Amino acid sequence: MSAMVDSDSVYAIAESVFSAMIDGDEGLLLPWEGDLPQFADPLYAWVDLLGEWQGRAALTTEAPTAHALARALLMMGDDEVVSDADLIDAFGEIANVVGGNVKALLPTQGTLGLPRVDAVLPPHEGGSLSQELRLSWRGQPIVVAVWLFG
Amino acid sequence: MRALVIDDSRTMRRIVSGTLHNLGFETVEAEHGQAALDVLDSGVHVDLACIDWNMPVMDGLTFVTQVRADPALRDITLMMVTTESEQSQIVRALAAGAHEYLIKPFTADAIREKLEWLGLVPAEEYV
Repeated sequence: MSAMVDSDSVYAIAESVFSAMIDGDEGLLLPWEGDLPQFADPLYAWVDLLGEWQGRAALTTEAPTAHALARALLMMGDDEVVSDADLIDAFGEIANVVGGNVKALLPTQGTLGLPRVDAVLPPHEGGSLSQELRLSWRGQPIVVAVWLFG
Repeated sequence: MRALVIDDSRTMRRIVSGTLHNLGFETVEAEHGQAALDVLDSGVHVDLACIDWNMPVMDGLTFVTQVRADPALRDITLMMVTTESEQSQIVRALAAGAHEYLIKPFTADAIREKLEWLGLVPAEEYV
């Protein structure tokens, strides 16, 4: 999958998702410069890719950044509190759109699982990391990762 | 004009509905295909349905197939709004009876352009 899902394609997908859904044309998603700090309060959003080619597309960021993403997606004010339901739905939908477009890079047609959001990313036996993009959104770290299973 | 926005993500429902409101539509929302059929069965008339593909309970393709099988619903314009971007999926949806196909992520301009092509909003004049 690494050859099919190259880092440039995943970056293009992530950039397109953020510009179309979150930031407009401003282009606020950039490569992370330097060492990535360890996440203190991480939140994960992911979808599993099912079918002949199985894998997972996941986003990781700090919980406050996930709240900021949800506020941006839902066009809420900076001071508005994001409910847990809105946080899970909005952050999960970003992973869903990224995952759906990653799935389109695969050579055979598969299906997409439903998005999930949690403080822990469940491991998948036999999974190997295909791509890991370390990105910056409004100066905060976001990791977009794609795994291959089996 | 009234649109039915069908998506299991309420975030996406809000985004699509907000864009449609700006284009002059009233909107009704449903979280999956069966809930959307229930809305239509209740007698609510809609001119347009914007339909996600991957949803629990009833997916968007099944919804399209069921709507197309009901002559009473033949006037509804069906537009898939989905991450399913493979050509084969687009062909499946159009063959099932969808009129248009919009791939996520999309911009408000992309929705407007699709609706212009479908004749549901007046074409914007460019100077």
